[in-house]
Amino acid sequence: MKNINKAIVAIAVSALLAGCSDDFLNRPPQDSLVDANFFKTDEQVLAGTAPLYSSVWKTYVDKANFKLGDIRGGTVFRAWGDRDAVEFNITDVSEANEQAYQAFFVIIGQSNLAIYNINTYAGAEVSEAVKRHAIAEARFMRATAYTHLVMNYGPVPIIENNLEHLNNPNLVRNTVESVWEFIKRDYEFAAANLMETSPLAGRINKWSAEGMLARTHLTLAGLGAGPGSRDQEHLNKAKEYAERVITQSGKSLATDYSSLFLYPYDNNNESLFELQWVFATSPNSYEASNTMISQITYTNDIAANGDGWGGDLSATWWLLSKYDGLVSPAVPYKNQITNPGDSILEGARPGFTIDERLKASFMLPGFTYPEIINNATNQAHVFPNPGTGDNNFASIKKYVIGRIPGETDRQRYPNNSYMLRLSEMYLIYAEASLGNQDYTKDGQALDHYNAVHTRAGLPELIADDPNGPDSLAWDMIFEERMKEFAMESMAWYDLVRLHYYNPEKAYGIINAQDRGLFVARPNQWPNPTSWTFVKTSWFTNRNATASSGNFLLPLPSSEVSQAPSLSEPPVDYDFND
Amino acid sequence: MIKKVYRSVQYASVILLLFAMLPAVAQQKVVTGKITDASNQGIPGVNVFKKGTTIGTTTDSDGSFSIEASPSDVLQISFIGYKTQEITVGNQTSFNVKMDEDVATLEEVVITSPYGDMRRSDLVTAQTSISGKDIERTVNTTIEQAIQGRSAGVYVTQNTGAPGGGISVNIRGINSINGTNEPLYVIDGVQVQGSTSASGSNPLSSINPADILSMEVLQGPSATAIYGSRATNGVVEIRTKRGKTGDIKVSYGLKYSIQTAPKGIDVMNLRQYAQMENEFKAIAGGEVREDFLDPSILGEGTDWQQELFNSAAMQNHQISLSGGTEKTSFYLSGERMIQDGVALGSGFKRTSARLNLDIKPRDWFSLGSTMNFAQTNEMLGSNNLNGNNLIVNAIQMGPQIPVKNLDGTYGGGNPENNAEQFAPPNPIGLAELSTNELVRQRLLAGLNASFKIIDGLEFRTAFNTDIGFSHSLYFLPTYDFGWQENSNAYLENNDNMNVYWNWNQQIQYMKQFGKHHITVSAIHEAQESEWKHLMGSRSGFLTNDVLDLNAGDVNTAGNSGGQNQWAMESYLGRLLYNFDDRYLVTAAFRADGSSNFGPENRWGYFPSVAASWRVSRESFFNVEAISDLRLRYETGLTGAQGNGGAIYGTFAPAIPTEWGSGFRPANYPNPGFAWEETLTHNAGITLGLFNSRIQLDADYYIKKTENLILQSELPWFMGTRGDAAVGAPVVNIGSLENRGWGFTINTVNINQNGFKWESNLNMSGFKTKITSLTTGSSHLTREGPDWFLANFAQRTQIGYAPWLFYGYKEEGIFQTREEVESSARPVDNNGNLRPVGEDNIWVGDVKYKDISGPEGIPDGKITADDRTFLGNPYPKWFGGFTNNFSYKGFDLSILMTFSYGNQVYNYVRYQNNNPNNINLGRNMFIEALDYAKVATDEVGEPYLLNPETTVNRISSSSVNGNYDRLTDKYLEDGSYLRVKNISLNYNIPGAILSKLKIVKGMRVGLSAQNVLTFTKYTGYDPEIGSYVGPNAGAAQGFVGVDYGRYPLTPVYTFNLGVDF
Repeated sequence: MKNINKAIVAIAVSALLAGCSDDFLNRPPQDSLVDANFFKTDEQVLAGTAPLYSSVWKTYVDKANFKLGDIRGGTVFRAWGDRDAVEFNITDVSEANEQAYQAFFVIIGQSNLAIYNINTYAGAEVSEAVKRHAIAEARFMRATAYTHLVMNYGPVPIIENNLEHLNNPNLVRNTVESVWEFIKRDYEFAAANLMETSPLAGRINKWSAEGMLARTHLTLAGLGAGPGSRDQEHLNKAKEYAERVITQSGKSLATDYSSLFLYPYDNNNESLFELQWVFATSPNSYEASNTMISQITYTNDIAANGDGWGGDLSATWWLLSKYDGLVSPAVPYKNQITNPGDSILEGARPGFTIDERLKASFMLPGFTYPEIINNATNQAHVFPNPGTGDNNFASIKKYVIGRIPGETDRQRYPNNSYMLRLSEMYLIYAEASLGNQDYTKDGQALDHYNAVHTRAGLPELIADDPNGPDSLAWDMIFEERMKEFAMESMAWYDLVRLHYYNPEKAYGIINAQDRGLFVARPNQWPNPTSWTFVKTSWFTNRNATASSGNFLLPLPSSEVSQAPSLSEPPVDYDFND
Repeated sequence: MIKKVYRSVQYASVILLLFAMLPAVAQQKVVTGKITDASNQGIPGVNVFKKGTTIGTTTDSDGSFSIEASPSDVLQISFIGYKTQEITVGNQTSFNVKMDEDVATLEEVVITSPYGDMRRSDLVTAQTSISGKDIERTVNTTIEQAIQGRSAGVYVTQNTGAPGGGISVNIRGINSINGTNEPLYVIDGVQVQGSTSASGSNPLSSINPADILSMEVLQGPSATAIYGSRATNGVVEIRTKRGKTGDIKVSYGLKYSIQTAPKGIDVMNLRQYAQMENEFKAIAGGEVREDFLDPSILGEGTDWQQELFNSAAMQNHQISLSGGTEKTSFYLSGERMIQDGVALGSGFKRTSARLNLDIKPRDWFSLGSTMNFAQTNEMLGSNNLNGNNLIVNAIQMGPQIPVKNLDGTYGGGNPENNAEQFAPPNPIGLAELSTNELVRQRLLAGLNASFKIIDGLEFRTAFNTDIGFSHSLYFLPTYDFGWQENSNAYLENNDNMNVYWNWNQQIQYMKQFGKHHITVSAIHEAQESEWKHLMGSRSGFLTNDVLDLNAGDVNTAGNSGGQNQWAMESYLGRLLYNFDDRYLVTAAFRADGSSNFGPENRWGYFPSVAASWRVSRESFFNVEAISDLRLRYETGLTGAQGNGGAIYGTFAPAIPTEWGSGFRPANYPNPGFAWEETLTHNAGITLGLFNSRIQLDADYYIKKTENLILQSELPWFMGTRGDAAVGAPVVNIGSLENRGWGFTINTVNINQNGFKWESNLNMSGFKTKITSLTTGSSHLTREGPDWFLANFAQRTQIGYAPWLFYGYKEEGIFQTREEVESSARPVDNNGNLRPVGEDNIWVGDVKYKDISGPEGIPDGKITADDRTFLGNPYPKWFGGFTNNFSYKGFDLSILMTFSYGNQVYNYVRYQNNNPNNINLGRNMFIEALDYAKVATDEVGEPYLLNPETTVNRISSSSVNGNYDRLTDKYLEDGSYLRVKNISLNYNIPGAILSKLKIVKGMRVGLSAQNVLTFTKYTGYDPEIGSYVGPNAGAAQGFVGVDYGRYPLTPVYTFNLGVDF
C-alpha cells in the first residue's frame, strides 16, 4: 500500500508540474497563408497583386459603376429601380453611394497592404523587376481608385499605409488638388516601373500607366480653370502621352467595334487595362466573377440562370438621339432637308443609323444576336417587338454575353470589364489638341477622331467639307465618347472633367437629357429597318436637375457619423518632398 | 435553498447507502409502509434498504413502499435532507414512518465539479441550481431552454424558434461586447463554449434534457474564476444522472406535443393590394392591370403566412435503466425525439444514448466514465434557402400570386410584368423543393480515476473528450416560378469534424481539525481542440431526385477546405477554509496559457477570493424568525480569449484569377492582442425565515472589464467594408462596467392537509456602461449589410450601454407646405437645405427630428449629426415566477417569465411598410395601405387626405431618404410577460398500480407551453435574441432586431412516465 501511495504521489506531482512543451501553445493558422511567409518568389509576388484586378473592385463594378457612370451620366436610365441615380437624387444614404465609396477604399487598402507586404516580406529570390512591377501595379490601382473617389466626392483622405492608421480613425480629407497630385505621382511611378510588356497577358504595363496619365492630364487641364482656359501645359502632356501610347504601345484598334464585345474578347489588342473576371465555381468565386452581367441582362431568357435583373434598364432617349439619324430631330439640323407635312415631333418619324456601335451597345426590336442564345427558343436571340404597348426598353447589350454552358452561371460571368481602351487615346488626343479653341481643323486631331469615328461605320470627318461639319468641335468629341463608351462607366466622369472648368455647361447637358420612358416601334416585323420613337405620355418624370448642390456625391452618412473628422475642411497633403 | 440543495446532493445518498449493506436473510414476508414528512405528506423517492444488503426499494409518489423482509431485518430508511432511521421489522408488516429533517446532513452535501469537490456549506458564491425535475416540467428540445425563468441573473432569449434552434444565454449582463456573451457549458467535465451559431442551429442540441441530473449556474467570481479564462460570461455546469446502489430501475417516458402555428402578421389582402397598385399607377402612371380594374370583386388572394405555417407534432420516447451494487453502478438511457417545425422546411430529430458508469474496485481507487452519443438531424430550410428567409418571403409575396397555378406549377412573379421581377421566390415552392439538412453526430465521453493516498488526500485525473462530425446537404433544385427561376440545380455538401480533449490532474487534501475544516487542491490541465472542414459542390443536375455530388456536372465541381486548432494549458490552486461553519473563506489562483496570443501575452492570471459569515450561527444571534442568515462577499478576476488567429495577418482562401490563384490579406493583424479581464465584486445575503419557509438570496455585483476583445469597427476608408475588404483587426478595444442585482425568493406558502403550494420568484437587472474605448474614437458602429439589413445600425459609445439602436428620430409626416418650409430638411452638397417641392421634399415625406449639428446643437439641417440613440435591446429587469401546487398525486406547476424595458427593432415592418414596394410586386404590412395621400386644395396647396398616417407618400425616388434612413418609428417595446409553461401531472397511486404487477410507478401529465404572452410588440413574438439567418456572422452579432425571426408558438403536450 505504501509503495502504491508513493507511486501515485510521484505520478501526481510529476503530472502536475511537468506541464506541456512550449509548442503546445503555439498554433499558427493551418488553413490560410500568413503574410510573413508569402512573397518569397516572383510567382508569389504576382499572385499577391492578382486580386487587385478583380475582387477588390467587385462592390463597385457589380452595380454602382453603371448607376454612377452611366445612369447618373445620362446615357442609360432605369424605369423603376435606381431612381435616385436617374433623377440625380443620390443622397448620403443611397446604396450606390455607399457601395462605391466602400469599394474604392477597399482597392486602396488592399493596394497599400500589397505594397507594404512586398516591401517588408519579399525575399531574396524575388527579382527586382518583378518587385518593382508589382508595387507599380498596386500604385496604379490606388491611383485609379483615387481618380474615381475625387471625381465622385471631391476631397477625400489620402492614405499611403493603412497600418499606420489602425488606431487613428480621425483622418481629415485632403484637397482635390492634393488628391490629383497624388494620383499623378502614382501613375508616374507606375509608368516608370511597370514592365514595358505585360509579364502575363492582361497584366497592366507601362503603356497602361501612360494611357492613364493622358487621361489624368486631360482632366488636370481643366482643374481650377474656367471655360476656355484649360491649362495648356497639361493639354500638351495629355496629347504627348496619348500619342506615345498610340504609336509605341504596340496596341491597335480592333477593326470591328462589335468584336470588342463578342465573347471571348478579353485582353485583345485594343485593351490597355481591364478588370480580369473569371468564371469559377469555388465558394469565393463571387468576388472573382463578373456579377454586373446579372444586373444588366434584361431577361431570364438570355441570362445564365434566372439572373436577368436588368429588365427596366435602357439607353436614354438622349443617347439614342446622338446616334446619327436614329431619332429624327424635332428641329432639323443644318443641311438636313425636311419634306412638307413632316411632323416636327421629335422621333416621330422612322429613323435608322449606320453607327455600328448602337447594336453592339443596346438592343432595339428586331435586332438579332447570333452569339446570344435565347433559352426559351434555343435560337439566336431576337429582341422582341413591343406590339401596341406604349413603352419598351433599349435594353443593354454591351457586356451581355448570354448563357454559355460551362462558362456562366447565376452571378458568375467570365468576361472582363474595360477600364482603358486604345480608342480613348485617339479621342483624348483630339480633345487635347482642340484645347481651348471652339473648333479645330488640325489634321492629326481629325485623323485620330476619324480613327474612332469611321471604325463605327460612319463617314469620315473632312476639314472644310461643304456638305457636313467642316471641323472638330468639343461637342462632337464628347458625343463620340458617349457612344463609344456607353455602359463602360465613362459618361459621368466625362461630365465631371467638364465640370472642373465649365460647370454651367455640365449642368446644361444633364438637365437637357431626356431620361424618360418611350417606345421604339419597328417599321416592319420581322427584320425591321427603322424605328419610330415616341415618348410615353404618362411618364412625366423625364428630366434630372443638376446643380452645384447635387453634382458630386455627399460622403455616406454612416461614414461621416463614424469618422466625424471627415466633416472638417480639407487640407493640403504633405508629400514630404 | 433546501430545494436547491438536495437536488445536487443525490450523490450523497450513494455514499450513505454504501454503509448499509449486510448479507440477506431468509424467511421473507411482504412489509409495506408509508414514509411521511412533518406535515404528514408522503415523501416519494425515499430509500428503504435492508441494512447491510443491496436489497431495497424506493417509495412511490405518495410515499408508500413495499419490500420483502424477514423479522430480523433492519430497514434503513434514508433520504437526502432527512435523518436516516433504522427500524427492526419484527412482527410488524406495516409501518408508518415520519422522517425528521436533518439540517446537518444538508451541509455535508458535496458538490462535485471538474476542479474538485466542495461541501455545499462551504459555498460562498452566487450560484443557482436547476434540478432535473424542473427541467422535466417544460418541453425542452435542448437543455438551455430549461434555464429560462429558473435562475436570477440569467437572461435567456431564443434566437430562433426553429426546432433545435439556438439560444442566447446571458449570465449577469453584458461583459464582452464582441457579440457573444454566451456562458461556458461544462457537461460532465467537457468544456463547451456557448456560441451563437450563424445557421441558427444549436451546439448543445445533442444533449438529451432527460439525462440531466442538475445544472449549476455559476455566477459569482469565486466560482467562475476557477474556470479562469473561459468564465467571464458565467459557467453552466451540467451533471447527468448516474446509477445508484440498489435495484435496477427501469423507466419509460413519452411526450407527445402539438405545436401551433403563429398568428399571422396583417398584410394586405388581394382587394387591398389591387387598390393600392391602382392608386400607385394613378400617381406614377402606367396601365391598370385588367384583373385589378374593380378591386371590390376580388377575393382575399393567397395568405402566404397561412400557407407557410402549420400545426406540427413533436414526440419523444425515452428509456432509462439505472442501478448498481456497492462496487459498480450505472445509468443507461436512450432517447428518440422527432419534432416537425411549424414553418415548412424545418424540423429536428435526435437519437441519443448514454452510459454512465461508476466502478470502485478498491477502497483507495475508483473509476468513473461517462459516454454519450447522439445524432441530430435538422432541417434548416425555413431559415436560409438560397439567401431567402422564407418567413420574410411569405410576408412579401403578393396575394395575387397563387401558391400553385392551375397547371400544378408553383406560382411566381409574372414574367410579362417588369415590376414583379422584384418579388421574392415562392416560399412554399422553395421549402417543398429544396433540401437544407444538417446531420450531426457527437460523442461526449470522459474517464476519471481517483486514488486515495492517505486519509483526506486524494489524487484524481480525468480525461474528457468531445468529438463531433457534421454533414450538411444543401440542394437547390431547378425551379421555374415565373420571373423567379433557377435553371441550374446546385448541391453542396459540407463535412466538419472537431475533436476536443482535456486532461486534468489534481491533488486534493481535505481535513477537519477541530472546528477548522480545510480543503486544498492543486490542478494542472491541458486542453486542445481542432476542427476540419471539407466542402464540395456541383451544379448542373439533370434530375432533382438524386441528391449526391455524383449526379452533378463534373465541370462545375467546387470545393473548399479549412482547419484550425487551439490549445490551452492551466494551473490552478485553491484553498477552502471553514471555521465552525461560521466563517468561510475560499481563495483560488489560476494561470492560463492560450494559443490565441503571442508569446508575450500568452499567460493570463486569474485570482479570486471569497468570504462568508454565517451570522445565524453566532451565539449572540438569537432571532426566532430567522433560521439562517449569511453574508457573502467575493471578488475575482476572469478572462476571455476571443477567437484564435488575431495575431496573424492571414490571407483569404485562394481567389481564382486570370493567372491562377491570387491571394489577398483577409484581415489586419494585431500582434499585441491580449487577454480580456473582468474584475467582479459581489456582495450577497442569504436569509431563511420561519424555519426556512421563506428563503431569500440576493446579490449585487459590479463587474469591470478591461481590454475588451472586439473586432474593431474602422471607418470604411480603411478598406474594411465591401467585397475583398480587409477585416478590421481583433483588438482590445476598451473597458466597460456592468452593475447588476438579482434575487430569488423561495417560499412554502401552504403546507397542510397534504396540500402544498410553493413559489419561486427570481428577478434581476443589470446596467452596462462603456467606460473607455482605445480606438481614438468615442464610439463604434455596427451596420447591417445592404443586402439583408440595410441601414440597420447599433452603436457603442463611451458612457452608454453597448450596442444601442442608432438612427434618426421621426416627428411624423409633413402635413403642409409651411411645415416643410419651416422644418429641418436634408441638405445638398453645399450644405443648403434641399428645396421644397414635389420632386424634392414635400408634404407626405417623413419629418426627421433635428437633434444636432456640427456644433452639437440643432442646426436646422438633417445630416449624419442627427442620428442618435433610439433604444436598448437589453431589458431593465427580467425574471421568472414559478408556482407549484401539489395535492395527493397531483402536481401543478406554472412558470411565468417576464422581461421589461427591452426594445425590439421590427425590421420586417420597416422593410415592408414602404409603399413604393407596390411597384416591386411585393406585399406589405397593412399599415402601408394608409400611406400619405397627398391632394391639392382649390388654391393649389398640398394637403394630406389622411393626416393621421405615419407612413410616407409614394415617390419614385426620395431625396428625403424616407426609406433609406433607419428611424425610431419601427422600434417597439419588447417587454413581455409570458405564461411559459403550465403543467399538470398526476402520479397514479400505488394502490391502483399494484394490480399491474410489472408497473411500479406511473405518471401522466398535460402541459401547455408559451400559452399566453402579454406584450405590445406587433411582430410574431417579442422574444428576439441575436440575429441568425442568412449571412449572419458571429462578428455581426446584432441583438434585438426582428428580421423575420422564427417565432415561438404555443405547444400542448401529453406526457406519460412509467417505472417498471
